[in-house]
Amino acid sequence: MSDVKGFAELRFDGVAKRYGEIVALHPTHLVIQPGEVFALLGPSGSGKTTLLGMAAGFVSPTEGRILVNGQDITRMPPERRNIGMVFQNYSLFPFLTVAANVAFPLEMRKHPKAEIVPRVRQMLAMVRLEHLADRLPAELSGGQQQRVALARAAVYNPSVLLMDEPLGALDKNLREEMQDEIKRFHAQFGATVIYVTHDQHEAAFMADRIAILNHGRIEQAGPQSELYERPNNAFVAGFLGEANLLHVTAYAAGEAGSRSVATQEGLRLVVSGAVQTGRMVCIRPANITLSPAPLSYANTFAGKVVDLVHAADSIRYRVQLNDQCQISVRVTSRRADARFEKGQEVYAQWEPEDVLLMEN
Amino acid sequence: MSGRPIIASTQGFERDVTRWILRGYTVLAFTFLLLPIAIIVLMSFSNQRYMGFPPPGWTLHWYEAVREQPRWLTATINSFCIGIPTALLAIVFGTLAALGIARGDVRFRKFLLLLMMAPMMLPHVIIAIGLYPTLVDMRLQDSYIAVIIGHTVIGVPLVFITVTASLRSYPASLDLAARTLGAGTWQAFRRVTLPMIWVGIVSGGLLAFATSFDELMLALFLTSPGTETLPRLIWDQLSFALSPTLAAVATLILVLSVLLQGFAVYLGARRSALKRAQP
Repeated sequence: MSDVKGFAELRFDGVAKRYGEIVALHPTHLVIQPGEVFALLGPSGSGKTTLLGMAAGFVSPTEGRILVNGQDITRMPPERRNIGMVFQNYSLFPFLTVAANVAFPLEMRKHPKAEIVPRVRQMLAMVRLEHLADRLPAELSGGQQQRVALARAAVYNPSVLLMDEPLGALDKNLREEMQDEIKRFHAQFGATVIYVTHDQHEAAFMADRIAILNHGRIEQAGPQSELYERPNNAFVAGFLGEANLLHVTAYAAGEAGSRSVATQEGLRLVVSGAVQTGRMVCIRPANITLSPAPLSYANTFAGKVVDLVHAADSIRYRVQLNDQCQISVRVTSRRADARFEKGQEVYAQWEPEDVLLMEN
Repeated sequence: MSGRPIIASTQGFERDVTRWILRGYTVLAFTFLLLPIAIIVLMSFSNQRYMGFPPPGWTLHWYEAVREQPRWLTATINSFCIGIPTALLAIVFGTLAALGIARGDVRFRKFLLLLMMAPMMLPHVIIAIGLYPTLVDMRLQDSYIAVIIGHTVIGVPLVFITVTASLRSYPASLDLAARTLGAGTWQAFRRVTLPMIWVGIVSGGLLAFATSFDELMLALFLTSPGTETLPRLIWDQLSFALSPTLAAVATLILVLSVLLQGFAVYLGARRSALKRAQP
C-alpha cells in the first residue's frame, strides 16, 4: 500500500505554484532533515499552506519536485505517500468513535483486526485518552480532539508528519499545554515534522528550525536563535520579535578598526567589525539599556521618554532621540533605578554587536 | 457599551402585542394551508354523488369505487414505475454534479451552478415542448422511458441542492484527511463522504420522487394511455365529473405524502444529530 517507509528526509526541489497570473509560491528549495521539527512561519497568504499542501499531495506544483528519502513523490496521490497530517479543525470523522478514527488508517492499509486493536490502544495510551476510546469526537474537548487527531495521523508510522496550525483553534492556556503534549509525543515517537503556524512563539518553542515565508517566498530559514540574531531583512527582523529598524545612508571606518554607519534618521551608530554591508539596521528593544546618566556603551544617545506601556513581564518605553527618530526600549528589570517617567531625560545605549545589519 | 440585549429594553406591553399578532398570523397561515386538505378528506366520505360541502351524510362508497376501477390501480403502479427510476437517476446525476461542483477543481463554478438549477426556473411546459418532438423522433413516446427522462430533468436539481447543502455542512478537509490516512478516491467517498451526505442524497431522492408523483404537465405530453400517471388520470376524470372518487384518491395520496414527509423529517432529525457531532 504505502510506497514510502521509515524516518525520512523531505526535500522540496525548486517547487513553485502558479494560478494563472497569481504566484502562490515562487520556486523554493528546502531540505528537512530526518527526525527534525521544522516550522513554516508566516502571515496568511505567505505560501506556507501551499508548501504543506504540496507535501500532502493536495496541491500539485507547477514546477519542481518533492522527494522523500530521494524518492520522487511529486505525482503520487496522497493515499500512497505515507504522510500523516493533523488539521487545524481536527477533521475527525464525526460518525466514528475515537478508537474507530484511530483505526481508520490501519483499516485502509488492510492490517488484520488482531493487530489493529492493540495498536490503537497503544496510540491512545500515548496521548492519554484510553478511557475515551468509545466516545464520539463531539463528546470531547478541543484539546482532546486534537490529541485524537495526532494519534490517528501517527498510528501508521508515517514518514513525515504535517501539522497545519494544529493549535490554532484552541485558547491560549490550552495551546501551551498542547505544545508540551506534542513535544512530549515527538520525543517519544520521533518522525520528521513540518509544523505550520503564524505564531512566532509557538514556532520558536516547537521547532528545531524555522522558515519565515512572505509573499510566496522563503525569506530566511534556520534555527530560531539565528533568525533572531542575524535576520536577513527587515521582514524577518520584524516578524520574529520586536525591532527598531533604521535605514543606512553611509559607512565610515572609525578608530581601531571599528566601523560606523550613518542612518537616514540622523544617527551615527558604531557597528561590529564583523558585518560588511547592509542597507538596514535592526536594534532589538530588549538589547537597549536606559539610564539617567550615560554609561560606557559605544552607542549612547540622549533622549526623552514620550510614552510607556506596562506589559506582563516588562515595561516598554518609547524614547525620542531626535526629531526624526523614536525607538522602542523593553526593560525587564523591576529595580527602582530602571524605572522612568514620561517626559524624563534618559540615555539610550547599546553595544556595537547589538546593531544588526541587514540586506534590505 | 452595556452587554444587555436590546430586546430587554422593549416594553412588556409591546412585547405581548407583538406576540399575539404573531400567533394570529401563524394560525391564519396554517388554516389557509390546511383547511382545503381537511375539506377534501371530509368530502371523500360524503354520501352525495358530486363534491359539495358540507356533506349531508357519510359513506365509504367512493373508496370502494376507487378499488373497483382498475384504472386507478394501474395509474398508481405507473406512478411508482416512473417515480422510483426517476428518483434513482436524479440521485446519481444530482450527487455527481454536486460533488464535482462543490469539491472538484472546476472553472466557471458559478455558471455551472446556475446551469444545474435551470430546470427549476423553466416552466414545465417549456421542458415538455422541448422534449416531446425529440422523444417522438426516438419512438419513445409510448414507453415509461419518455416520462422518466422528463421527470429526471426536473429531479436532478432537487438532489443537486440537497447534496450541495450536505457537502457545505462539513469542511472539505474531512475528505482530504481520509486521503492522507490512506484512502483512495473511491474509499474516501464510501467511508467518509457518503456517511456525511447520505441524508442529503436520500432527502433529494424523496423530493425527486414526490415531484414526479405529483407532476402533471410533462405527464400530459409524455405519457400514453398505457403509461398514464395518477395526476394525469385525475386530470382526465376532472374534465368528466366532480365525483367524490377524486377526493378519495386525493386522500389516499395525502396519506402516502404524510408517510414520506414523516420519513424525511426523521432523516432530518438524524442529520442534525450528526451535525451536533461536528467540532
